[in-house]
Amino acid sequence: MNLPNYFLADLPAEAELSPTMLAEACGTLKRNREQYLAPRTTDQIVKFLANVAEGWLQTDNPFRKLALAQGPGKTGFGRPTLARGLDQFFGQLTRENLRALLGQELGDAKRLDELIATPGEGKNSRAAIATGPELLVHIAAGNIPNPTFMSLVLGLLTRSAQFVKCGSGAAFLPRLFAHSLYDADHKLGACLEIAEWRGGSAALEDQLFAAADCVTATGSDETLAAIRAKLPVRTRLLAHGHRVSFGYVTGEALFGHRAKKIVTAAADDVVAWNQLGCLSPHVIYVQRGGEFAPEHFAQLLAEELERRELVEPRGEVATEVAAGIASRRGIYEVRAAHSPETQLWHCQHSTAWTVVCEADARFAVSCLYRFIYVKAVTDLENVLQNADAVRGKVSTVGLAAAEEEIQTITTKLARWGVTRVCPLGQMQDPPLTWRHDGRPALGDLVTWTDWEA
Amino acid sequence: MTSELSTFAERLRASIASGFPADTFGTLALEVFGLQFAGNAAYRKICAARHITPLTVTHWSQIPAVPTAAFKELELTCLAPAERTHVFHSSGTTEQRPSRHFHNPQSLAVYEASIWEGGGENLRLAGDDWRCLSLTPPLAQAPHSSLVYMFDFVRQKLGAAPGAFVGRSGADGVWTVDPDAALAALTLDDSRPLLVLGTAFAYVHLFEALAASGVRLRLPAGSRVLETGGYKGRSRALPKAELHALISDRLGVPAAHIVCEYGMSELSSQAYDSAGLAIDCGARNGERVFHFPPWARVQIISPETGREVGEGETGLLRVFDLANVFSVLALQTEDLAVRCGSGFKLIGRAQLAEPRGCSLMAVGSNNE
Repeated sequence: MNLPNYFLADLPAEAELSPTMLAEACGTLKRNREQYLAPRTTDQIVKFLANVAEGWLQTDNPFRKLALAQGPGKTGFGRPTLARGLDQFFGQLTRENLRALLGQELGDAKRLDELIATPGEGKNSRAAIATGPELLVHIAAGNIPNPTFMSLVLGLLTRSAQFVKCGSGAAFLPRLFAHSLYDADHKLGACLEIAEWRGGSAALEDQLFAAADCVTATGSDETLAAIRAKLPVRTRLLAHGHRVSFGYVTGEALFGHRAKKIVTAAADDVVAWNQLGCLSPHVIYVQRGGEFAPEHFAQLLAEELERRELVEPRGEVATEVAAGIASRRGIYEVRAAHSPETQLWHCQHSTAWTVVCEADARFAVSCLYRFIYVKAVTDLENVLQNADAVRGKVSTVGLAAAEEEIQTITTKLARWGVTRVCPLGQMQDPPLTWRHDGRPALGDLVTWTDWEA
Repeated sequence: MTSELSTFAERLRASIASGFPADTFGTLALEVFGLQFAGNAAYRKICAARHITPLTVTHWSQIPAVPTAAFKELELTCLAPAERTHVFHSSGTTEQRPSRHFHNPQSLAVYEASIWEGGGENLRLAGDDWRCLSLTPPLAQAPHSSLVYMFDFVRQKLGAAPGAFVGRSGADGVWTVDPDAALAALTLDDSRPLLVLGTAFAYVHLFEALAASGVRLRLPAGSRVLETGGYKGRSRALPKAELHALISDRLGVPAAHIVCEYGMSELSSQAYDSAGLAIDCGARNGERVFHFPPWARVQIISPETGREVGEGETGLLRVFDLANVFSVLALQTEDLAVRCGSGFKLIGRAQLAEPRGCSLMAVGSNNE
C-alpha cells in the first residue's frame, strides 16, 4: 500500500519545513478541531479508537502489514519484536479500558462531555466538567512508538488538535498510526499533524510552541529545560525526563518450576522493544537464598536469550551501538578472566544478546539492545542501597516475589520513589490506566470547571 | 624473562633507529607475544580464558588483543614492581581510575626511538633551526602524561628551551593554556619557523582567548602545527575540519602544515595523518588517513562479528605495537575507524553516551 501524502512527515525527505508552513498547519488544525473534533462525544471517540485498535490487531490490516514489512528497515526492530509490541499496545486499547481510564482519572467517563457530579460531589451540591487543550503539541521520543501512540490517544479523548514532532528518522510508526486514524475518519485525521525534524531547530520550534496550549515532551533534563525556557508562561509543559527500570527476584520466588517461568519473564522484558524503553530493565537483582543462585539464574537467562534470538532476533544495530556493546563486553571478559565474581555470557556470532553477572551490586546503566546485568543481593534494602545513584529516576520495578512479600516490597519501593511495580515479564506492557511517571496521564491534560450550587 | 625482553627491546630500538624492515614485523610480533605471555601474568589469564597460547598463534593477527580499558583495572606489565621506574596514566580528568602503563629505562628508550623515527618528517623537520611551543603543561606538572613526555622529548631533540610549555595543570588535573604566555611565544620577533604542539582542546582554548583580543597571527613561513587527541568529554568539541580552518585562520599555517597525531598512554607508537608518511589510498575531500610506522600495524574489527572489516568499512581500531615491549603489544581500542589500505580514517570514540529516547544510556568510559 502507498500512504497518501497527508501529513508533513509524508513529504519527501528533501523537503524543508519552514516556520510559515508550521504556522499554517497549526491554524488549520485548530479550525478543523473546532469543526470536526470538538463536537464529538467521548463515547464516539472511544468507539472510534477501539475500532482502529481492533483493525491493527488483524493480520491483514494494511497499516499493520506496512509496519511489519518496512518497520525492520526503518526502525531497527525485528518483525516479531514489532508484532509483539504492536499487539501489546493495541490489545490494551479497548472500549472497556478506555472507559476505565476516563473513570480513573476524571471520576466519570462523561466528564469531558457535560457537567457531571460523582455521587460524592452530588452530596456536596457540586459538579464539574473537564476541557482539553485546544492544540496539544507532542515532542516525541524516538526510541519506541508506544508512548507516542498513547499521546495521540489521550489527545483525541480530550478533543485536542495535535501536532506530533518526531525526531529525524523516527516518524515511521507514529505516521502509520496517524494514517490509520485518518483512514478510519478523515475528519478526525484532519485534526492531527505529524512532522519530523532534528530537535533544536529554533525557528520551527518557536513557531510551534507559540501556537500550543500544552506541550508534552520526553527527553534528557537538558532538552526539557531548553523546551521549558522557550515556552510562553501560560503554556503548560508535561515533561517526562529520562527514567531507568530494574527487576527484582526474591529468593522466596525462585523455587522449583516457578524459577523457569521467572527466567522466561525476565527474557520477555529484555527482548521487548530490544530493551530500549524507559520501562525496560537495565539490571535484574536476584536475592541470594533461593533454590537457584543468582549466577545460575544468569546462566539460565543467557540460555533463554539464545533461544529467543532464534525466534525473535534482535535485528541489526548501528556500528556505534555494536561498538559500544563489543567494548563493554571486552571489559567484562577481562574481569571474568581474573575473578569468579564476574561472569559473562553472550551470543557467539554477534552482539545480539549479553548477560553480565557480577558480585558488585551497584546499579549499572546497560548499553541496552538486549544487554542485561544480573546482580546478587541479600535483600530489598541491599537493592535500594545499590540503586541509590538512580533514586528518583526509576520508573518501573519488575517484581518476582512470593504473594506474601508483595505488599511490603511495593510499599518500600513506593516510599523510595519508584512509580510503578509490576510482575517481571510485563515491564514493557503497562496497562492503559498506567500513571506515567506516577502522574495521571489523562488527568494532567485537562482543565476543570467547577460548578457549585 | 625481563632480561629476554630487555634484549628484545634493545634489538627493536636499534632496528627502529636504522630503518625498521617491514618484513620483520610478523616474526618479531610472535616473538614478543611469547615473551609477554610468559612474563605478563594478567595478560596470560586473558589469553587462557580465550584458550590461546603462543603454540596456537601462527600469525600476528591472531595475537589476543586486550581492551585499553583493562589498563585501568589490571597491572598489564612484565615489569616487577621494583623495575617500574615510570608510569604513564590516561589523562581523562573525569576518571576515578586512570590507565597505568608501566615503563623502565629500556622501554622508555624504545618509546623515544618510536617517537622520533615514527614522527618522520612531522617532527624531524628539515633544517635545524627550529623553535618549539607546546600548549600542554611542562613535564614537571604532568609527569605521568605520555603525551607531555613525547612533546618534551621532541623539544629536547629540537634544542628548544624548557620554557616552551605554556599549558598549566590545575589542582583538579585539568589542563589549561596560559594565553599570555602563548601569545608571547607566538608573537616573538623571531623569523625561525615554529613547531606548535598541542591537544585539539588546547587549540580551541587558545583561540577562544585570542578571539577576545581579536588577534590573528601569521607564524613564520614553514611553521608546523601538530594537533592530537579528542576533547575528553568536554563540552566544546569541534569537528576536525573546523579546527583546522581555525588553525589556518588564527595562526596563518596552511592545511598542508597541520598534522594530526593519534596516540594514547597505552601505546608506545603514534599514527600520523600527514602526507609525509601516508601512502595514498584514495583519501578524498581533504579526509585524512592515519598510518602507524612499520613497527605497528592496525586491524579494523567489526564489533558485530569480531572479524576484520572490508576495505572502506567501519569498525573498532585494533593496534599491534611492537614498541609496547614490556606490556601488551595487541590493544583493542574503543575508537571507531574506517579501514583504508594499511591505514585508517579516524571516526573517534563511538557516541555511546548519546541519550536516545527516554532511557538513560550508558556513559562510555574515557581513556584518552
